[in-house]
Amino acid sequence: MNFTIEKEVFLKALGRVQGIVEKRNTIPVLSNVLLEGGDGELHLTATDLEVGMRSSYQANIRKPGQITVSAKKLYEIIKELPDREINFASKENCWIEVTCGKAQFNVVGLAAEEFPHFPQPEEANFIQLSSQVCKEMIEKTFFAVSHDEGKYNLNGIFMQVLAEDNRLKMVATDGHRLSMIEKPIESSVGEELRKGVILPRKGLLELKKLAEEGEADISLGFMDNTAVIKKDQSVIIMRLVDGEFPDYNRVIPKNNEQEARIAVDPLLHALRRMIILSSEKSRGVKMMLKPGLLEVSSSNPELGDAREELDMDYQGPEFSIGFNARYLLDILQVQDHEQIRLVLKDNLSPGLFLSEEEDGFLAVVMPMRL
Amino acid sequence: MSDRIIMHCDMNAFFASVEQQSNPELRGKPVGVIGASHRTIITTASYEARKYGVKTGMAKWEALQCCPDLILVVGNNRKYTATSTRIFAMMQEYTPLVEVFSIDEAFLDVTGSLALFGSADNIAYRLKARILHHFGLTCSVGIAPNKLLAKLASEMQKPDGLTIIRPDEVVPVMERTPIGDLCGIGRRTRQQLQQLGIATCGQLGRYPLDILRQKFGIVGDKLHHMGRGIDSSPVIPEEKSEPVKTVGHSMTLPRDISAEDEICRYLLQLAEMVGRRARRYGVSGKTIHLGIRYADFETSFGRQVTLPGHIDCSDDIYQTILRILRSFERPQPVRMLGVRLSNLRHQNSQLPLLPEEHRKKLATAAMDEVNNRYGDFKVTFGSLLGDEEKGAAVISPAWKPQGIRNVDVR
Repeated sequence: MNFTIEKEVFLKALGRVQGIVEKRNTIPVLSNVLLEGGDGELHLTATDLEVGMRSSYQANIRKPGQITVSAKKLYEIIKELPDREINFASKENCWIEVTCGKAQFNVVGLAAEEFPHFPQPEEANFIQLSSQVCKEMIEKTFFAVSHDEGKYNLNGIFMQVLAEDNRLKMVATDGHRLSMIEKPIESSVGEELRKGVILPRKGLLELKKLAEEGEADISLGFMDNTAVIKKDQSVIIMRLVDGEFPDYNRVIPKNNEQEARIAVDPLLHALRRMIILSSEKSRGVKMMLKPGLLEVSSSNPELGDAREELDMDYQGPEFSIGFNARYLLDILQVQDHEQIRLVLKDNLSPGLFLSEEEDGFLAVVMPMRL
Repeated sequence: MSDRIIMHCDMNAFFASVEQQSNPELRGKPVGVIGASHRTIITTASYEARKYGVKTGMAKWEALQCCPDLILVVGNNRKYTATSTRIFAMMQEYTPLVEVFSIDEAFLDVTGSLALFGSADNIAYRLKARILHHFGLTCSVGIAPNKLLAKLASEMQKPDGLTIIRPDEVVPVMERTPIGDLCGIGRRTRQQLQQLGIATCGQLGRYPLDILRQKFGIVGDKLHHMGRGIDSSPVIPEEKSEPVKTVGHSMTLPRDISAEDEICRYLLQLAEMVGRRARRYGVSGKTIHLGIRYADFETSFGRQVTLPGHIDCSDDIYQTILRILRSFERPQPVRMLGVRLSNLRHQNSQLPLLPEEHRKKLATAAMDEVNNRYGDFKVTFGSLLGDEEKGAAVISPAWKPQGIRNVDVR
């Protein structure tokens, strides 16, 4: 194989696969990127057998062929080359030669035959999603994905479209809090999404990156326990998390009656101040609700205490509730509106957080005993 | 750290003396305190019994061979922990720097208390008088510039002693003290040192440091300092001590057991004891350890599993322990079992969101509350129902009057 390519294009292409290649190096070829040249295009493929990505780029293919080479090393090399055309050639015994101006690199690669097969997605059953919406939905749920590897069914975002409303729901929970967003979709939906699927953490990060690049719509489809995502010249496939997602509807409180409205920004900043003196183990803050007034406080027996008052729109009875401040900050950080609605019941029941205006977002946080 | 005045206070024949105080008939007689199970040992012998050679750790028959008139008393652990807690509270009236060393020993840093009480020996006299007045108990007190020497000093006169090692007396005292008298030099270290021709602390202090380092590694430096009577370790009160790293319980079975279902019952009981104590102090752990000692007393076995998440529920602990138990063959009947939770996280005030978990947590909390009020194992697992006594029967060496190590023993 022999091709020339613009540095900028090649660097961007290699940059995209860095998050996917296997870092633990258990199977050597998985830390490599597969380069395939033909038909005036260069195809790059990377996979860790859980998440894979294949993208195509403009290149001047002089001699078609294929080879794999360390994704990290090639990226580092290309990054340091001058902004000129790069020449890439594969030679005998899987050696590759990269030349740019007077710089030359010889790097040992591995045969393309060793690289795992990347499935060709079929055309059927894709739903269309605007990149903007996809990005927003991931952003507003991803923070609640569990880090506890023991709860593998919570290590991802649950996606579902119910027949009755044809709205795409994304839900994430770690067993302490839950966040959910739903948006209407126009496409017809296959069986997998009706039942619901769990997209894995790593794949979601790649999907979010893909959504952030360019305006084109994203196509999302499923085949054999795998999600297939297409946008422009890129395809991502990810193995779905094999597990049962908890029934999120039972978690969302239905009869919380104490509703407060409070400005997002001042609360966000107050919490950032109060968390400094919260217990390092629990990050708990106390929120005292009084008519028209919210008092946030924290204390740490080894350091001291802190307190701040905020105005809010609340007419209910006075009571206090404890929350992990980090959970609240996660929610506040993704708000687009000026105000947020807190809907509470008592200090032992889950609190419901809603956007000021109906935009399909909600979060549920279980309080702490303080 | 210079010019400290440290006091070590050691209760004399603590368990036996407490028994003699609560039952006047036992006073002045040879008494041996034993455990409740029938394969117990002497936990403490009164001074009268010690004259006959009765020692802690002897089997019952051995002790009776030494002293046929020995009166054996089954220990009442609650009496000891309660008395001990009150004595430690008394010590705190003289200095806040009280480090509980075991159930009957404590270190006091009285350096800052002299302005209030005059001298260290004055504090010692007052403390001894109060302990005698309130509990009828005697103790041996050592006063010295550091913990190592204070402990050495309290050992010098027993019972009812008061020994002071002044800074200018350290060198001559060390010169004649055998190395085995130092706290921290056990039988094996002593033998190793004797091979080097070291018999007294003075010799140890003068011995070339590089050879000690070669033989003992970093412990070599510590031995060198110990030989010279130097110890800079501070007296650490409970609230300043390192957070507890493990929660565990172990028990010697009433008889050696091979059958798995019987072993499981004891494991469930241990898991509940560990779980309850973890929950009471708001910790949960990721690593579960099963320890087994076999019937021959020599062979022991330990294996642990680290889970992906933290747990504090007794049945989660039990399920993990079962997994470990079933992962190997037991070559012999089992004599002793131990369950330990480590890799701790000190936080469980966050309530769970998912309804199943929330209900389980509420149910566990309700069970704990009933047991807190009416006693351990009052509400418990069906398979544990039965007449035998449950719960901790032995006071652990790590027992502390406050916090997570305050194990309630029956």
